[in-house]
Amino acid sequence: MPYAITEKCNGCGACARICPSGAISGEKKKLHVINGSLCIECGACGRVCPQSALLDAGGSGCLMIKRSEWLKPELIMVACMACSICVDACPVGCLAMSELPRNNGVDAFPYLKDAKACIGCGFCSRECPADALTMTKKDQE
Amino acid sequence: MNKPYMGKILMVDLSNQTMTEEAIPDSVYKQYLSGMGLGAYVLYNRMPADADPLGPENILGFCSGFLTGTGSLFSGRWTLVGKSPLTGCWGDANCGGTFSPAIKHCGFDAIFFKGISSSPVYLHVKNGKTMLHDAAHLWGHDAIETEEILKKQHGPKAAVAIIGTSGEKVSLISGVCSDKGRIAARSGLGAVMGIKKLKAVVLEGVKRIGAHDPAAMKRLSRHCNKWVNFPLPLTPGGIFARVGTFMRVTPVVFPQDGLLYKSILRKWGTGGMNQLSIEMGDSPLKNWNGSNRDFPLEKSRNINPDLIKDTEIVKYHCYSCPLGCGGICATKGKYSHTHKPEYESILALGGLCMNEDLDSIFYLNDLLNRAGMDTISAGATAAFAIECYEKGILTQKDTDGLELKWGNTEAMVALIKKMISREGIGDLLADGVKVAAGKIGKGSIEFAIQAGGQEPAMHDGRNDPGFNVHYSLEPSPGRHTLGAHLYYEMFQLWKRLKDLPKPSLLFTKDSKYKIDEEKARVAAACSKFMSLSNGAGMCMFGLFLGAKRIPTFDWLNAATGWKLTPGDYMLIGERIQTLKQAFNVKHGIEPKDNFMSSRALGKTPQKEGANKGRSVDIEKLAPGYWDQFGWDKNTGKPKEETLHKLDIK
Repeated sequence: MPYAITEKCNGCGACARICPSGAISGEKKKLHVINGSLCIECGACGRVCPQSALLDAGGSGCLMIKRSEWLKPELIMVACMACSICVDACPVGCLAMSELPRNNGVDAFPYLKDAKACIGCGFCSRECPADALTMTKKDQE
Repeated sequence: MNKPYMGKILMVDLSNQTMTEEAIPDSVYKQYLSGMGLGAYVLYNRMPADADPLGPENILGFCSGFLTGTGSLFSGRWTLVGKSPLTGCWGDANCGGTFSPAIKHCGFDAIFFKGISSSPVYLHVKNGKTMLHDAAHLWGHDAIETEEILKKQHGPKAAVAIIGTSGEKVSLISGVCSDKGRIAARSGLGAVMGIKKLKAVVLEGVKRIGAHDPAAMKRLSRHCNKWVNFPLPLTPGGIFARVGTFMRVTPVVFPQDGLLYKSILRKWGTGGMNQLSIEMGDSPLKNWNGSNRDFPLEKSRNINPDLIKDTEIVKYHCYSCPLGCGGICATKGKYSHTHKPEYESILALGGLCMNEDLDSIFYLNDLLNRAGMDTISAGATAAFAIECYEKGILTQKDTDGLELKWGNTEAMVALIKKMISREGIGDLLADGVKVAAGKIGKGSIEFAIQAGGQEPAMHDGRNDPGFNVHYSLEPSPGRHTLGAHLYYEMFQLWKRLKDLPKPSLLFTKDSKYKIDEEKARVAAACSKFMSLSNGAGMCMFGLFLGAKRIPTFDWLNAATGWKLTPGDYMLIGERIQTLKQAFNVKHGIEPKDNFMSSRALGKTPQKEGANKGRSVDIEKLAPGYWDQFGWDKNTGKPKEETLHKLDIK
């Protein structure tokens, strides 16, 4: 089931701007709609909507969360097998394989290259076969 | 929902610039998987028998692996399919990188192109929209430059497959490149993309890829990764030369375990086998006419694996690969970043041409990757030209002044540059050895080493006769990634399929050359298993771990919810293999015409070196292999009842 937009929508367009699959469309200040065949259920729309106008895949309402409080992937280096599945799983391309080795060796590893672009969807963590990525709240520095 | 396949293909007609999405029935996936299997299904059914490989009727397909994106490991390979302009046969080429999941993220299992565009174009798929854009600004740029331009335009996450300048110039030994140095090189399918004026395919999808039981997929992947991490103590790379020498002189051998190869691949990459191969007689030298005596340790020392590893900055992993045999290298001075040359490239540009200069190998590898020309075929064609020159068939007048002598690095580099730009003698050679020998004449076909027009890889079938079987008898001739005695030993299929023979713990080398039914069963098992694996998108290096350690069959069941046995899956492999052969027969190919050149079969056996006195009688081996598939013993053509049994219409 894809996400859906309810009548509460005020057409601010925040969801359409963040949607990584281009599934949301609508005119400014008018009700927006989600193209179900494109929605990947990343939940980013629900996290940015100031009107709480989004229903998730299970039909529950989504609450807006401050972007600084979104969960971000954190790598458990010893568990990582460097298969790069996480890098591919990321719908916004914020993860990348390192250009420098780890442990003074030559093994590559994934890292959060563009933290600002991360939408906290957790696909990287969910798809990691080794459970080497956990979604955590970054401490404010 | 939660199927490992997307259930759709995209068919692009470049002649009239139309794009059609088509649903593929579930039954097709159950019979052929996707990847090479789906490619064979579409091409067999839709391409007319007399299609000119360089005409509008040829269909070029980019097919993602069936297991790609399901949480399985070693399953990130995509297959490029089409009718090969190099051989006229079924053509395919296999590549890793990140392109295979990208096809599925766009909602397709495969993207096919037919027709010919009137001007250069590239396909762009994003958010469910498919668009053909003008590619005039990209035409003329090499593969890496083009990738950089496209990624600047579409963002770094875009996955791209591109032809370099060789594909544009319709060189029959050109391939399709991606990830700045990966190349689907074989079968000359870059020329098909070039003649279609399709410069690139740019994919920016984010669709999710499902699996029936994701938890089981992860569990199996962890089991597999344990074996990938199995620690084997490894010594400096130079020791493998000594191991190779030992393997050359010993009359008895034992079945090899892929764990050793896994460890070599992990530490050095494919180049770890350089000296070992030369010493033991696996690598052909001096255009398949030399031996380890022509390229002794003093020479091969210069391509010692450690020297290559010293240049490696960081490992390169294809999608879903925990092994990481690739690498990003920087050599002194010339390059800041270049893909690590593979074993095949090193030996084709090295030993085969008697070239011992490692720097030139790095240079040529990068040059050929940029041009999108197959390094194996380029090296083989250069070696052929050198032999022509040495024998007086080509003179300095023909070679534009180049002194093409064995080991003359400068002349060889200049020659390959000419092949890339198709200038002078390079134009003659840019379509591979068979075409060149046809134009040169004067008996040069004798030392144009090929099978059905395809230059074979750097594994000598006189050393492992299994290679000669597959070079000669596969629907895509001249290919080394489908089977061999060594591969059978490492696949360890008998551990999952009880009816397959288990090699003895110790056997004589001579026994490998004995023609019996077991040889045919072993070769057929390799072909079926690799056809299945190419449908699944599996990497052969992962499969070297052994069938119990890399759970291909179990992944397939967990991804689909099917409850098939390994035997059922081997039948899928058999069906794909038979369909490819039926494709060839439909297109008028006589399987017997694809036998390897007589020199490489050892019809006149070598007088010295590792393969002294060895020859392989392919005429006698072929009937047994064909019979394993239910193909006619005399002609190699699939019988009516076989096609019926496999439900091939």
